[in-house]
Amino acid sequence: MTCDEALPLMHEYLDGSTDGTEAAELKKHLLQCPECNRVFRELEMTDALVKSSPHVAAPDDLTDRIMKSLPVRPKRESWLGWVKRHPAISVASVFLFVMLGSFLSMWSQDQELTVKGSNLDQLVIEDGTVYLPKGHRVSGNLMVRGGDVQIDGELDGNLVVVDGQYHTASTATISGKIYSINQAAEWLVYQVKEIFVPAAQ
Amino acid sequence: MKDTEARLATLARKGDRSAFAGLVDLYKDKMYHLAYRMLGSSHEAEDVAQETFLRVYTNLDRYDENQKFSTWIYRIATNLCIDRLRKRKASYSLDAEMPDGEGADWYSLLPSNQPGPEDEVLLSETQNHIRKAIDTLPEKYKSVVILRYLQDMSLQEIGEVLDMPVTTVKTRVHRGREFLRKKLHSEYGGKLF
Repeated sequence: MTCDEALPLMHEYLDGSTDGTEAAELKKHLLQCPECNRVFRELEMTDALVKSSPHVAAPDDLTDRIMKSLPVRPKRESWLGWVKRHPAISVASVFLFVMLGSFLSMWSQDQELTVKGSNLDQLVIEDGTVYLPKGHRVSGNLMVRGGDVQIDGELDGNLVVVDGQYHTASTATISGKIYSINQAAEWLVYQVKEIFVPAAQ
Repeated sequence: MKDTEARLATLARKGDRSAFAGLVDLYKDKMYHLAYRMLGSSHEAEDVAQETFLRVYTNLDRYDENQKFSTWIYRIATNLCIDRLRKRKASYSLDAEMPDGEGADWYSLLPSNQPGPEDEVLLSETQNHIRKAIDTLPEKYKSVVILRYLQDMSLQEIGEVLDMPVTTVKTRVHRGREFLRKKLHSEYGGKLF
């Protein structure tokens, strides 16, 4: 064994990671080589001295000071943590919340009379009431919002009355269904149907 | 089965302050000792110990219970010490005021000026030599040597704390040991060896 080979082995030995054969070879070299022997003794001594450094203890009041310096754990952490763990549901519920909000604001803001239909020239509007006179005919759905409806003529489709009353005379023919909606929730369902039903067809 | 620390950490995460105080009691001396050896100043050691626990506390939510708590807290403390050593190196003048805003200058950090916890114990001359030799260790050997010898950690654990391969840890232990040997030999040779 050369001195260059011996040095790393000395460190391995001090790490406690030499096997029996290596240790025996190292010992053999150390007995022959006074220089390596000296280095080995110094390393061994260094190890022992460093290990013997006295432990220092923290000041007695350190625990108290640490505990006093801690911030109050914010309660919101709990739901923030939930949001972080379920990003998809969080985004979806925020989206739904905003959508619902816009529907509801549409509902409460817009109280003017609105009429939706295909051939509106058949209709007569007076004092917030929409008349479909006798002998007149509307083909397609008719939607009236924020007003009453009087049907005397022929409606070839659904009648939707939102926030209002409807009357039909004996002469009236309505080929579709009649929806009378007076609640925000029903309005919402109707809107959703309007969005999805044509798309499904 | 979970060890005591992991159980305390879980309780502390749920807001149990006395569980956290338990963790502080278990680790304050270790953290203080580590920082004191790394930085050579009792003032800074207290700061680092305090900041370590503050970081543990604010990051409890991120603590992974499958990881050893000791590895985690040692990593936080070692990194804080290394940061401070690097900042110290980067400041050129000892007269420059420290960034802590308390008007202290860098002289106050010099180990010899500090009335340290060891002053009560009458240090033998040998121990004094060793302490000074450790203070002069380059930073990358210092952390490894201190974790190995003064905190009784295995090479494997040191690798986990410092996030480096065991082979690197081993090399640094060897070089650190060699550095200390040469230092002690050249300065105190006759007295020590």
